[in-house]
Amino acid sequence: MDHKQAIKEYIVTEFIPDIQVSELDDDYDLIAGGVIDSISLLRVITWLENRFDIPVDEVEIAEKNFTSVTAICEFVHLTAPHGTSAGNPG
Amino acid sequence: MAVAARSQIESSGCAGSSRIAVRAEKSAQTIALIVACMMARRSFLLPSTALGAGSLGALLGRADCQRLLSAVPADGGAGIRVEAGDVRLDADSGEPQVVAPAGRLAAMVEADVSFMLTTSGSTGLPKIVPLSAGAVDRFTDWAAARFRISSGTRVLSYAPLSFDLCLLDIWATLKVGGTVVLVDEERATDGRYLAELVRAERIQVVQSVPMFYGLLANAYGGQPFAGVEQLIVTGDKAPTQLLGQLPSLFPNARIYNVYGSTETNDSFLHEVVGVADIAVDLPIGRPIDGVDALVVDVDDAVLDGPAEGELLVRTPFQTAGYLDPAASVGKFVAIGDGKQPYFRTGDLVRRDAHGVYTLLGRRDFQVKVRGTRVNLAEVEHVILGHSAVLEAAVVGVPDEITGTRIHAVVRRSAPGSPNSLILRERCRLQLPRAAIPTTIDLVDTPLPATATGKVDRQALIRAVLDRR
Repeated sequence: MDHKQAIKEYIVTEFIPDIQVSELDDDYDLIAGGVIDSISLLRVITWLENRFDIPVDEVEIAEKNFTSVTAICEFVHLTAPHGTSAGNPG
Repeated sequence: MAVAARSQIESSGCAGSSRIAVRAEKSAQTIALIVACMMARRSFLLPSTALGAGSLGALLGRADCQRLLSAVPADGGAGIRVEAGDVRLDADSGEPQVVAPAGRLAAMVEADVSFMLTTSGSTGLPKIVPLSAGAVDRFTDWAAARFRISSGTRVLSYAPLSFDLCLLDIWATLKVGGTVVLVDEERATDGRYLAELVRAERIQVVQSVPMFYGLLANAYGGQPFAGVEQLIVTGDKAPTQLLGQLPSLFPNARIYNVYGSTETNDSFLHEVVGVADIAVDLPIGRPIDGVDALVVDVDDAVLDGPAEGELLVRTPFQTAGYLDPAASVGKFVAIGDGKQPYFRTGDLVRRDAHGVYTLLGRRDFQVKVRGTRVNLAEVEHVILGHSAVLEAAVVGVPDEITGTRIHAVVRRSAPGSPNSLILRERCRLQLPRAAIPTTIDLVDTPLPATATGKVDRQALIRAVLDRR
């Protein structure tokens, strides 16, 4: 499963369970729409840390990196260590 | 920088006496621009940056602000460029953005208005709260003296620039020659960053909503913030557990619980002395110097001695009334000696035999989310505006971190549409960000009702809490 799909599935399951994964646009503004607020952002970051081995202590966390699925994907690509692109299953 | 900004205001097409709106992005440049407005004795509106584009346009229209100014860094950050935008803002909504000139509000009688703040988005558009230069002056003098802010004092500024809290942490501090340390808004929920900032910048005075202290408590790692001398908790009811942690987090600080509103500014203060003080509901304390407070019953009869009722206050710092005189009716009331009107806070309080006040709750449907007041009825109204929504109930659910989070339960006329994203989009266009529900449940059966046929909100709240 690619990053985008995994991220989408997580966001839909966690925050907007009434919609289908396919209904969530890659560029939908998750922050402006209130899907992710400043507090749930911390949950997203914890999940990314575990799922993609992102060393969150070492990277800059800015809200603009999490405005959409596309932005989160970009963030993962830039910060995940090489060789763990698929992450840990489950 | 402020001098440079002032000359740019003049040349940006803002006629001599017209009102200005300033985009409240938190930066040294914006602060310089506001200083420039004060130097030029202009009236300026500071709309929240969290407003939807549609609401922002309407708000600027109502305030009769013809220009929205933004302060942009120039010359590698040390300079300033003032950009003037047209009020008309595109919201992709197809709805009119700026109310027609006929809808403009009557000009303020008081000539010396400086700050125009807004209430935090309760009913519909936020109400505009003009503050006279004198009221701002009296408040900043009081705040600097009360919290020992003087030349060289280092004060943290956590709240958004459009919030009334800035009158203390930025404007009182700059007035007496202190140093303001701005929190990067992008990282405002990053506890580690905040802890580091408080330490590295040797912060002495902190004023913030409880959430900020919660973030610090999670990040402090056993290392107390020994440099903080004055600590102000305000804007919301602080969780008891968090309050209990404050004395060990800030061993050298005097800790205050401060109560106020945009309309009146700070009006009550309670100093927290020792952990024993925190065991019960934390009082808001006593009225601060120069503040008059009344407790009234449902018929507006003034109660004496120990009592429970609605709190009315008047302060030396208060607004003369909302910019819209119609909005002031019933909120600013002449009671007693009639010298100056009292502000009806909408808060229920208890006053004990010693004259100490404790907050009991809101009189109406208002809740506070991360320090911003949200009217749940207004959120319901927006959701009900969708043609395929039959019923909607919006409730505040207690939340460990934010205090309250907003939960909506929506009954559709047919399964499938609208989905939560469509409803979120409606909310985004019509409400401030704090009012967008954290969770939206979509159902196709009637909402639970009380015996009298009203939606049973308590049942909805219990259902959410049980789900965990």
